Amino acid sequence: MITAVRKPMEEIIACVEPYDRILLVGCNECVSVCSAGGRKEVALLASALHMHFMKQGKTMDIREITLERQCDPEYVEELVTSVDGSDAILSMACGCGVQTIAARYREKPVFPAVNTTFMGASERQGVWSERCQGCGDCVLGITGGICPIARCSKRLMNGPCGGSTKGKCEIDANVDCAWQLIWDRLKALGLERRIEDIMEAKDWRTSRDGGPRKIIREDLAS
Amino acid sequence: MNFKKKLSAAEFVVLAEMNTPKGVDISELVTNARRVKDRVDAVVVPDMDNGVMRMSALAGGALLRREGLETVVHVYGRDKNRMALQGDLLAAYVLGIPHLLVVPAEPMSNGDHREAVTVDDLDESGILQMIRSLREGVDLSGFDLKGAPDFTSGCAMAQVADDSGLDQEIETVKRKVEAGAQYIVTPPVFDLAAYGRIADALKPLGVPVIATVFLLKNVGMARYMSIHDPGSRISEDMIRRIRKAPDREAECIRMAGETAAELKKMVQGIKIATLGWEHRLPDILASAGL
Repeated sequence: MITAVRKPMEEIIACVEPYDRILLVGCNECVSVCSAGGRKEVALLASALHMHFMKQGKTMDIREITLERQCDPEYVEELVTSVDGSDAILSMACGCGVQTIAARYREKPVFPAVNTTFMGASERQGVWSERCQGCGDCVLGITGGICPIARCSKRLMNGPCGGSTKGKCEIDANVDCAWQLIWDRLKALGLERRIEDIMEAKDWRTSRDGGPRKIIREDLAS
Repeated sequence: MNFKKKLSAAEFVVLAEMNTPKGVDISELVTNARRVKDRVDAVVVPDMDNGVMRMSALAGGALLRREGLETVVHVYGRDKNRMALQGDLLAAYVLGIPHLLVVPAEPMSNGDHREAVTVDDLDESGILQMIRSLREGVDLSGFDLKGAPDFTSGCAMAQVADDSGLDQEIETVKRKVEAGAQYIVTPPVFDLAAYGRIADALKPLGVPVIATVFLLKNVGMARYMSIHDPGSRISEDMIRRIRKAPDREAECIRMAGETAAELKKMVQGIKIATLGWEHRLPDILASAGL
């Protein structure tokens, strides 16, 4: 999923302060799962903003809506009637959702209420870790299901480096060495000889380095 | 008088662009540089020009310095992060290269190493601010330098397709000047009347403007640029002039010389780009009366 964390209150307040009527929009997908911008977080942020502005002697009209998916124009269309009655939109979706709203409602300022962080997985309750950088050319099949790009601090394709100690990374003793994990996993699978295969210089064209990416499925595109 | 002094004394400067080799054979570069040694104020050395991997501008600049020429090296952010940029700039300074030109980089996907990672840690304004910080003796993390480099840094103005894009580009250049650019290098000039409007629009920024004189080498090149780069404003008359000339190569040299001579009346300097025909630089300078 795409993970996010809410922005500091001061930053959010500074964005919406000039306005009187705010449309606060949550998203029921990834940011809801990582408890950053779902229905519950929308309600919490609305309360916090109400309290702040009441203390300032200002009545802020905040309308709360949580869409099924903010990155989908079909759902963003549901905001049509609510947008008219607001001065600005505050989105709690990831950057994809914020931009979908900004593209659809060009006449209204749109502000992000969360910082989109990474593509990750849930480790346990309340803990998410980065797992994928969307390089567009997956190597998990040869690295034992552990991504060296997302999980090795140096993005080494032929690790480990000299900074790996007792299975931990030199940047932080709480960070696993991805190449230790890869070695352990390959060994458990009886595939440890694979570590001797040198991976060639990676072709980053499929990653962000080739410019903004787009997928066009001819069989689905209308 | 050196490049920096001439700039600040509002004297006309002549720059010539010379690429480093893709390889280690430097004979052509050195020979071409010697040909113009006392006729240009400095040689501009692009870095990985057009996204093509070649010997770094730092090495090229240092080589030409050894030959007794002043050099201006390109600086851009596509291939290096702020650490590498700062380290290389400090190296450039101690190797005798105090003149920098901050330029946009060709997208990696247009170069000859399309599989490479794009860095883009700093954009052009960011690099200019970084250079200003180094000049003040502090690196981008706020640490003091042991000896501050006295750089002269310029910025590049992008080609604008029409007058409607000019205002926006002037604003962009203004930001670069505010970020520390001490001179502006403008794109190739083929339409002097249109360029007059650009030069006028840049005047309020209060820094020297150096116009690019670009050597059209043949009809095909002129035709290609007129179609694919409408901002170049290469007219049909220009293309016809080359086509009808008894000696087309000499005509191209003459046209570049004429442009250079006219630009001398309009701006504070020219940069002559010959794209592989650096051996013809003396002829262009002679044609321009420089």
